[in-house]
Amino acid sequence: MSTAVTIRDPGYPTDRENYLTNSSGILSWIFTLDHKRIGMMYLAGVVASFIVGGLLALGIRVHLLRPDGVLFTGPEGNNIYNQVFTLHGAIMVFLFIIPSIPAALGNFLVPIMLGAKDVAFPRLNLSSFYLWCAGAVFFVSALLSSGLDTGWTFYTPYSTTTDTSVILATLGAFILGFSSIFTGLNFIVTINTMRPPGMTWFKMPLFLWATYATSIIQVLATPVLGITLLLLIAERTMHVGIFDPEYNGDPVTYQHFFWFYSHPAVYIMILPAFGVISELISVNSHKHIFGYRFIAYSSIAIALLGFLVWGHHLFTSGMSSLTTIVFSALTFTVSIPSAIKVFNWIATMYKGSISLTTPMCYAISFVFLFTIGGLTGLFLGTLATDLHLHDTYFVVAHFHYVMVGGTLIAFLGGVFHWWPKMVGKMYNDMHGRIAALLVFLGFNLTFLPQFLLGSRGMPRRYATYDPEFAFLHQMSTYGALLLGCGLLYALVVLMISLAKGKRAPANPWGGITLEWTCTSPPPYYNFERPPIVGDPYDFHNVEWDAEGERYVLTEPERKLAPEETPSEQPAHH
Amino acid sequence: MIPALTTMTLALPLLADHHDSFWFPDQASTFAAGVDWVYDMILYISLAFFIPMMAFTAYSIVKYKKKRGERAESQVTHNTPLELAWSIGPSFVLVWMFIQGSISYLDMRTPPEGSYDIGVQSQKWKFIMDYGGGTFHDELHVVKDEPTKLSMRSTDVIHALFIPAFRVKKDIVPGRYNYLWFQATIASEKVSDEELAKAKKQSEGGGTWDYDKYQFTPDGYRFYDLYCAEYCGTDHSEMQTAVVVHETQAELDEWIKANSSRGDVSMVQWGETLFNRRGCAGCHSIDGTKDGFTGPSFKDVYGSSHAMVSGEELLADDNYIRESILDPKAQVVAGYSPVMPTFKGQLSDDDIASIIEFLKTLSVNGEAADDAEAADAETSSTETTPAS
Repeated sequence: MSTAVTIRDPGYPTDRENYLTNSSGILSWIFTLDHKRIGMMYLAGVVASFIVGGLLALGIRVHLLRPDGVLFTGPEGNNIYNQVFTLHGAIMVFLFIIPSIPAALGNFLVPIMLGAKDVAFPRLNLSSFYLWCAGAVFFVSALLSSGLDTGWTFYTPYSTTTDTSVILATLGAFILGFSSIFTGLNFIVTINTMRPPGMTWFKMPLFLWATYATSIIQVLATPVLGITLLLLIAERTMHVGIFDPEYNGDPVTYQHFFWFYSHPAVYIMILPAFGVISELISVNSHKHIFGYRFIAYSSIAIALLGFLVWGHHLFTSGMSSLTTIVFSALTFTVSIPSAIKVFNWIATMYKGSISLTTPMCYAISFVFLFTIGGLTGLFLGTLATDLHLHDTYFVVAHFHYVMVGGTLIAFLGGVFHWWPKMVGKMYNDMHGRIAALLVFLGFNLTFLPQFLLGSRGMPRRYATYDPEFAFLHQMSTYGALLLGCGLLYALVVLMISLAKGKRAPANPWGGITLEWTCTSPPPYYNFERPPIVGDPYDFHNVEWDAEGERYVLTEPERKLAPEETPSEQPAHH
Repeated sequence: MIPALTTMTLALPLLADHHDSFWFPDQASTFAAGVDWVYDMILYISLAFFIPMMAFTAYSIVKYKKKRGERAESQVTHNTPLELAWSIGPSFVLVWMFIQGSISYLDMRTPPEGSYDIGVQSQKWKFIMDYGGGTFHDELHVVKDEPTKLSMRSTDVIHALFIPAFRVKKDIVPGRYNYLWFQATIASEKVSDEELAKAKKQSEGGGTWDYDKYQFTPDGYRFYDLYCAEYCGTDHSEMQTAVVVHETQAELDEWIKANSSRGDVSMVQWGETLFNRRGCAGCHSIDGTKDGFTGPSFKDVYGSSHAMVSGEELLADDNYIRESILDPKAQVVAGYSPVMPTFKGQLSDDDIASIIEFLKTLSVNGEAADDAEAADAETSSTETTPAS
């Protein structure tokens, strides 16, 4: 580094500044309005939910090791299996995936990426976290009372006639919906009104674009879920006659209502992941993101088109041919914006300077896995093949490639990417990468065989199965165990870093977005004054400082122009 | 059935016999080849995208992996023509997929005039095929090369009928009829008489026939799987049956005739057959087990008194059982819900009498009741139907 350049590096925070230590005691967390602390509480909550949901998943897989079932046997065996897969789905969807990136990472990052001190409505933000907790309590109480065996979709009339705790669970989902709406509303207002000087819409980091698109869906679609669940409760308790054919209702109406929310909800799950991956790939390739505008617009396109495709969950339900064909056509349109993003990420890596850090390993697995998830969606959007594949393991494999191979991998990548920023500690990168590899291998071993199971005719949600499917099920189970080990390994790597990790510099990866310009961890006020920003992906002025093991932002030597001082002083001086 | 698939054929798909493709079960209907062709084309198109994309990614990672601090070779921000090309280009392929899929779909949607019609009644956790004329059976029997239409209804929750070998699936939604049609192309083989006799001997006294174990039906036919594909509760995974394709209509008619009425088997045996075939076994145990069953157990039920939901105490005699079959919600045993569907018009008097005879054999009171009945008949003072 030449001496002519000045470097900008915020150094390290003092204990008084550090948001983790500036106040202490349990109450300072419970009543905090700091978006970073709320984000960390969300992170702890969603990870705990993920562990519960993950253990249930392992239960499912171990049970399916043999055609007659291994784990849940006896006369109640099938019932227990049904409750286990229902809770696995419900916990993973409502308590983990939907809040994972938007609420945990989003809360931490959105204000900092905007150079703001907090979100627009800090109290609303805290209340959204407590709504999440309340929803979780309802789910746990459903589990503890008489369980839940409807599948996470609560299809009628099964859900109106089963004697399990449907009402508790749907109330839980209803409350979680409000948590989601509050977060979305908060981010929309924050991003609209609190951008710093110089940050026009097209100078926003792509993570913010993705969060913005997600928030639009959360605010517009979630109320429909709320209405649907309330109607379901009304049908169950008062027999209002909307969903249950016994009272002149129509079960397919429920499916329309439900998927009108739940298909956009798929994009609530995956859009923030796209945002994370855009950041990870650009930063770790040390190269400007390729096709910024196409990526930004495609997020919005997905958010809007996502509202028009819900009918593809009902291709076999007996809708009219015309409706079915129209929904198939609309479904294909939504695949284009996702494809655009993948092409752009791959192009970003080309001619970059790639650092294979742990987050980058997750980003690369994301590209691989999400592409499979997206392409296998084509088989399901095509009507002829969907009739065969609908409600088989092919569908299970497809959405796990999108939800786990996509969202979970991006979430892990994001957590590893921003971990030094969140806790101020570096983890062991080599062990992080080994964990990422185990997760990648375990995941593929779990779900690749399931495509084959599905196309060979294995229906989903089966507690027992025909012996000819045993071999593929066994492969899948061994894969799930490997995946579980990989995830545990990743968790251990992060936990060890808390105790033994080196102090993290402000900018360990070489990012340009604003969060890397404040200390690790950030001070409780984030920024003293709104920073002035330029292009978030312009890597010309970032340098590796080998001595400090950190990246620093440089400012080129500034010269006065003209260089010579005039020989005569102006008269008025 | 996917002919006795073993794990070996799955592990070595290329060595498996020629009926077996890697991805699919047998192609046993006129739809199968078309669906598989569309599937294969999408697969090849997907691979044509996936492999170059991943190869390019791998190349970039290997080629451009650099030490920290080294500069990227390029800081290009975008290339609009290239991006437009890869946005619009794939759309044409998608349009092709959409059109191919929709054409096949419309074929699969519209049953031809004059298809052979079979009724399907589904309930937790059983399909009951209605061959007309009071003949019901839980196996689906159809004729080769004959368009067959299933008119399907459900008496409780949503089910779905799925025959992988035919590549057809349709939800069965309560409160409406859903239809599905296909034309089978491969007749089911029949196993040798010795093999059948051996299996029959083995399964004697073992209760229901184990399709998975023998891989042929009790009549000795190889079969295709028929699954319920829409989650419907506890025994969803056991809601399966067999599809048998007969060579000729005559062969099917003969099979229907053989299953239409009791024939020359004993009433008790016929009652047990109906108990298994018509779905009673799904909700009522015969050994006193209560866990996991929706309805009361049939063990010792005949001739004993039970408290009803209405508060009355009723004796489960012939008339009560008859009423419970024809109008199940009239008197429900306390502690149970009124969820049983009616069998009115679906069982003949002989069928009902056979079931009652079968229930007697399950009860300690059965023998005594027979004697009492005989005595009653003599004095012609039969009990009246319990008030409902």
